[in-house]
Amino acid sequence: MRTNRVTLLLVVVLATSTIAGAQAGKAPAGQTLNATSLSATADVLLNDPALWGQVSAHRISLNRTPPLYDTDEPASLEIPVLEVRVARAGGKVLVQMSWADPTHDSAALPEVPNTPPETRFRKLPTEADDRFFDAAAVMFPTKPGAVTPSLQMGDTDDPVQIYYWNAARGPMLMEAAGRGTTRRTGASFAAHAANEKGRWTVAIELPDLPAGTPLAFAIWNGSQKDRDGRKYFSVWQVLQ
Amino acid sequence: MSKHQYAMVMDLNKCLGCQTCTIACKKLWTDRDGTGYMYWNNVETRPGMGYPRQWDRIGGGWKNGQLQPSPLPTMDDYGHAWEFNYEQRLYEGKKKPVMPSPTPTSGVNWDEDVGGMNGEENYYFYLPRICNHCTYPACLEACPRKAIYKRDEDGIVVLDQERCQGYRYCIKACPYKKIYYNEVTGKSEKCIFCYPRLEKGEVNACAAQCPGRLRFVGLLDDPESPVHKLVLVHRAALPLFPEKGTQPNVFYVPPFNPPKRGSYDKSILEDPRLPLDYLIYLFGPEVRDVITRLEAELKSAQRGGRSELLQLLIGRDAETRYRIKPELVQIKL
Repeated sequence: MRTNRVTLLLVVVLATSTIAGAQAGKAPAGQTLNATSLSATADVLLNDPALWGQVSAHRISLNRTPPLYDTDEPASLEIPVLEVRVARAGGKVLVQMSWADPTHDSAALPEVPNTPPETRFRKLPTEADDRFFDAAAVMFPTKPGAVTPSLQMGDTDDPVQIYYWNAARGPMLMEAAGRGTTRRTGASFAAHAANEKGRWTVAIELPDLPAGTPLAFAIWNGSQKDRDGRKYFSVWQVLQ
Repeated sequence: MSKHQYAMVMDLNKCLGCQTCTIACKKLWTDRDGTGYMYWNNVETRPGMGYPRQWDRIGGGWKNGQLQPSPLPTMDDYGHAWEFNYEQRLYEGKKKPVMPSPTPTSGVNWDEDVGGMNGEENYYFYLPRICNHCTYPACLEACPRKAIYKRDEDGIVVLDQERCQGYRYCIKACPYKKIYYNEVTGKSEKCIFCYPRLEKGEVNACAAQCPGRLRFVGLLDDPESPVHKLVLVHRAALPLFPEKGTQPNVFYVPPFNPPKRGSYDKSILEDPRLPLDYLIYLFGPEVRDVITRLEAELKSAQRGGRSELLQLLIGRDAETRYRIKPELVQIKL
């Protein structure tokens, strides 16, 4: 128990200093992610796991956010390592994220019919109110060439785009300009996800980002009620 | 704190347990996808499990200025929706009784009229519940999105569907478990005190439809309002679980009548039909004083006196029970 507490304290201190070190204006502390150029179209690459074999993998260390709320349950301190592959294809940047997650938290949520609910005798039910789903996201600055924004969802002056994928709800484009400001834009993006042998592999199509763009990654484990800032996150990496 | 505060008083001596309020609310607000299990207004039998079951024991609220932990209720606690096999019985000629599936194990108002035993006598009463629109809402404090806010003009606590991301910290924090998660929209929802009706001068749907006329609505800070009179002047109504620290703005006239069978000459507290301990559990120790006051008023009226409090509680017309004037929230009272 004592060891756990010390470890937890270390994680809190490290995570806090990491966040502080990655505030606006500072150079990213992560590694360079060299993108492999492929002749395949973005669509083909997104859906063909075999093609990703041609792209070199970067192992990215993740941090666990410190406990955010007094009333929160503790999270596992077994921090997964994120494997990231980056490619350029068909005028797009594609990112494949892969990580171990022995608990598979996903669901096929029913599709909402186009007809208004008041015209239907049966309404869709809420199947469960207490489940959370696995998720992953890539974040980058909205303004090209911007200084590195805060890791905590950007800043007022340096907003961020968040390409968020959820194992039940799919891809959702979000934007934010500081902690607590994240909002769904209503837009979506192309993504492909697979869960095999306790491992998620999620490929996400990003716009044609220029070299030098900072990228940050995050993953959520639904089993331990991860959502919001309860997550594993990387510091800023640099796309090349 | 808000400039004004809408409040509701419910006289539990008058509740019939008919669920008309529940249906009025459901048809108006929660007849949409994902809202089947939501009852912004529910009526539960007390003593009993409540809805979601054991909500009063699982946590949330404030203690020494700190939010208290609580698990999320599960669908087992709310009860899973079931369907009946009408097709088999009516169209396929299978002469078996119509049965629900899956086998129901819990649900809203699951233990209706079960109650408890006081000596050899069964007792129970009905407890209608809506969001308490608390003065210090734990849900508001818990939301990292600031999606929940207390309207400055009238104190109604609302949940902004645009800002909500469905994190459900609010549900954990609410000690009354009066916020519900809609898995279809991925957002949480709650009672809005019918503010669109109030803004048009109409009383809340649950109150408007109540055949027992047990609901009183108005601004707590309006000396002319029935809620001000019942709560602050006559001190005849109490909030539920005051120790949860959120300072609810829904108040209850505690149930005390009729007296226990065969105890007509005794005072109610001397030989109560409803165990006082249970009422203290729900409403705090002040319930003893409130019952004493109510009984004194009753005795006085029975002797031919006129009780302003009882006349108010009878609430013969809407003008007595409600004071909804949209212009009042715009001025300093």
